[in-house]
Amino acid sequence: MRFTTRLLTTAVIASAFAAPAMAEGTLDKIKSSGVIVLGHRDASIPFSYLANDPTKPIGYSHDLQLKVVEAVKKQLKMPNLQVRYNLVTSQTRIPLVQNGTVDLECGSTTNNLERQKQVAFSVGIFEIGTRLLTAKTSGIKDFPDLKGKNVVTTAGTTSERLLKAMNAEKQMGMNIISAKDHGESFLMLESGRAVAFMMDDALLYGEMAKAKNPGNWVVTGKPQSFEIYGCMMRKEDPAFKKVVDDALKATFKSGEVNKIYSKWFMAPVPPKGLNLNFPMSDEFKSLVAKPTDKSAEEM
Amino acid sequence: MNYNWDWNIFFKSTGIGSEIYLDWFVSGLGWTIAVALVAWIIALLLGSVLGVMRTLPGKALPAIATGYVELFRNVPLLVQLFMWYFVVPDYLPEPLQTWFKQDLNPATSAYVSVVVCLALFTAARVCEQVRTGIQALPKGQSAAALAVGFSIGQTYRHVLLPQAFRIIIPPLTSEFLNIFKNSSVASLIGLMELLAQTKQTAEFSANIFEAFTLATVIYFVLNMSLMALMNLVEKKVRIPGMMGGAK
Amino acid sequence: MIRFNNVHKWFKDLHVLNGIDLQVAQGEVVVVCGPSGSGKSTMIRTVNQLESINEGEIWVDGKNVADPKTDLNALRAEVGFVFQHFNLYPHLSVLDNITLSPIKVKGMDKAAADKQAVALLERVGLAHKKDAFPAQLSGGQQQRVAIARGLAMEPRVMLFDEPTSALDPEMIGEVLKVMKDLAESGMTMMVVTHEMGFAREVADRVVFIDHGKIVEQAPPEEFFKNPQHERAQQFLRQLLTPMS
Repeated sequence: MRFTTRLLTTAVIASAFAAPAMAEGTLDKIKSSGVIVLGHRDASIPFSYLANDPTKPIGYSHDLQLKVVEAVKKQLKMPNLQVRYNLVTSQTRIPLVQNGTVDLECGSTTNNLERQKQVAFSVGIFEIGTRLLTAKTSGIKDFPDLKGKNVVTTAGTTSERLLKAMNAEKQMGMNIISAKDHGESFLMLESGRAVAFMMDDALLYGEMAKAKNPGNWVVTGKPQSFEIYGCMMRKEDPAFKKVVDDALKATFKSGEVNKIYSKWFMAPVPPKGLNLNFPMSDEFKSLVAKPTDKSAEEM
Repeated sequence: MNYNWDWNIFFKSTGIGSEIYLDWFVSGLGWTIAVALVAWIIALLLGSVLGVMRTLPGKALPAIATGYVELFRNVPLLVQLFMWYFVVPDYLPEPLQTWFKQDLNPATSAYVSVVVCLALFTAARVCEQVRTGIQALPKGQSAAALAVGFSIGQTYRHVLLPQAFRIIIPPLTSEFLNIFKNSSVASLIGLMELLAQTKQTAEFSANIFEAFTLATVIYFVLNMSLMALMNLVEKKVRIPGMMGGAK
Repeated sequence: MIRFNNVHKWFKDLHVLNGIDLQVAQGEVVVVCGPSGSGKSTMIRTVNQLESINEGEIWVDGKNVADPKTDLNALRAEVGFVFQHFNLYPHLSVLDNITLSPIKVKGMDKAAADKQAVALLERVGLAHKKDAFPAQLSGGQQQRVAIARGLAMEPRVMLFDEPTSALDPEMIGEVLKVMKDLAESGMTMMVVTHEMGFAREVADRVVFIDHGKIVEQAPPEEFFKNPQHERAQQFLRQLLTPMS
């Protein structure tokens, strides 16, 4: 029954908010209500997650989100603008942006063509490659080594689609397990049900850092795709999108993004004080140098 | 709301081989039925044995059955599923453990875990229905059967159970429907049943409402068909002369 | 045929059977009567061990029923039992009610069992109802089917536990007639009943029981004409006085 309940809830929320969301632009809405609603995740470490304070998210994407809030305050001349947080999941994030519940979602959402039909994306805030996490002793070095093996990935991700497509096209005979979240995918790997875990490299580093013995694991393989994460907002709202994009571009240009990056990827992060040790990739460096709101597949 | 409806999505390519999204729903429905039906058959058999045990004279057998019911009814289904999938296999003896976790197709090992889990969980509920059905019968029925020389087993087989099962068809029907709905927990251990395929379609296509709407319709039609089937069964076994069943 | 030796039974503190001694000979018809709560139903149910006993012995056809080594199912197959509330199997047709135990317990084949059942139904006057279900029959008809069901096992003894007390008055006669025919055919019978007319006409002996004890037993003409025990006299007075 859970899925129907969820659907009904979404539908009810949708109908309740549908009218005001369509009537005015996001900036007008923020101005008249005096509140900006930020969408965040609960466990996308280190992008957007809840650690010590259950009411306030932290993370790399959230720090960038706050840069946008500063810009909105300046633009609307509302130094006392209130910020409200709204937790989203991978299933609710798009509808909640569309129906006006959330004004801006920054987490770990890949910008792709399907999603562009439903929402607008900011300039890219991060770029990942889809790679493999495996035990150092497994002998797996790259994707061709996966022939006939059990491989896990997280349900609903681009990695799942890529892996399934690769399996079909190259007839690799892999058994693909779709686990419900990254934590469970890693459990499948750790418990020996799968020899490798395919996912966004940043998230693989995050899982590795959480492992009992991080030294036993290694991220390997040639990236099968690059994906650009973006912040989501409603479509056809150029005024708001401009504020968002400008704020992010300014952060990139000033180099402040490097400080934020180091804080979350090269130093211990809450809650456990893990250090991901994930240096900035060349792909992301060029994205920072030349910001774009296109998806990786369009480039 | 700025939602971009696209009902043709089900006929569009998923980007994997030549599959369209509708294929995913068909295969998901297939897994859902395969999980629920097999688990139901096991649950019905095991639950009946346990239900009979609870009504037997003596102490030991009823106590075992009662303990079973308490255990399986009071632990949340999801916890049980994770036990069967992640914990129990780790306690299998060695060659078996590797075989179950690595050699067996992951879909098969997930299937086995979820069928065992749902069967044992539902058996506890069936047990209670069967017990209630037996206890609702007049005491004279078992006395009459014993008096003609039936063993306890024959008394249950020929006299008590045929009547008890007729009484409990309505609650059993609702357990039967529940097992189909509960089978959606399989999506959490990576078995691509209907709910998992729905979520996958929603994620990949970003047409969330269409995906969940189709799933709702499929579950609804499935449940309605099962209910119609059970009504037919109930009519078929109705006793002439009782409760408006006169011919 | 049946012999009680100093049989005692307690329900917790209640001494329901208090030293029963009784013999029933082959072919004999014994009517057991007594006030309600006297223990007469409990007594008849101990014969085929629907009730267990705490002390003493009951011998049926040379077998001690309270002995754990006795095959109770085999013994019960030889002892027919008719209940106050008929206890037909409601999910089976009249015919199947009668044939179920011969087929399942004795291993009789279906055709033979059906043939025998039809003959028995003719004997109780219900051959035309063989395909009906119990809920479609009157109480009297149900009890006649129950008697046929008991007879289908070809018992050596028939026990009746208040066979007419759940019936409407107009149906009592048809059941008693079947029982009378059965007695005349030479069946050994033990009948708990308040039907004193039946006792007078059919019984070889009347046993009066009170507080778990047999206080008087005598041939019917003696018992009704000249009851010895004070409580038997009182019982008969109450029974024979029309209700005011």
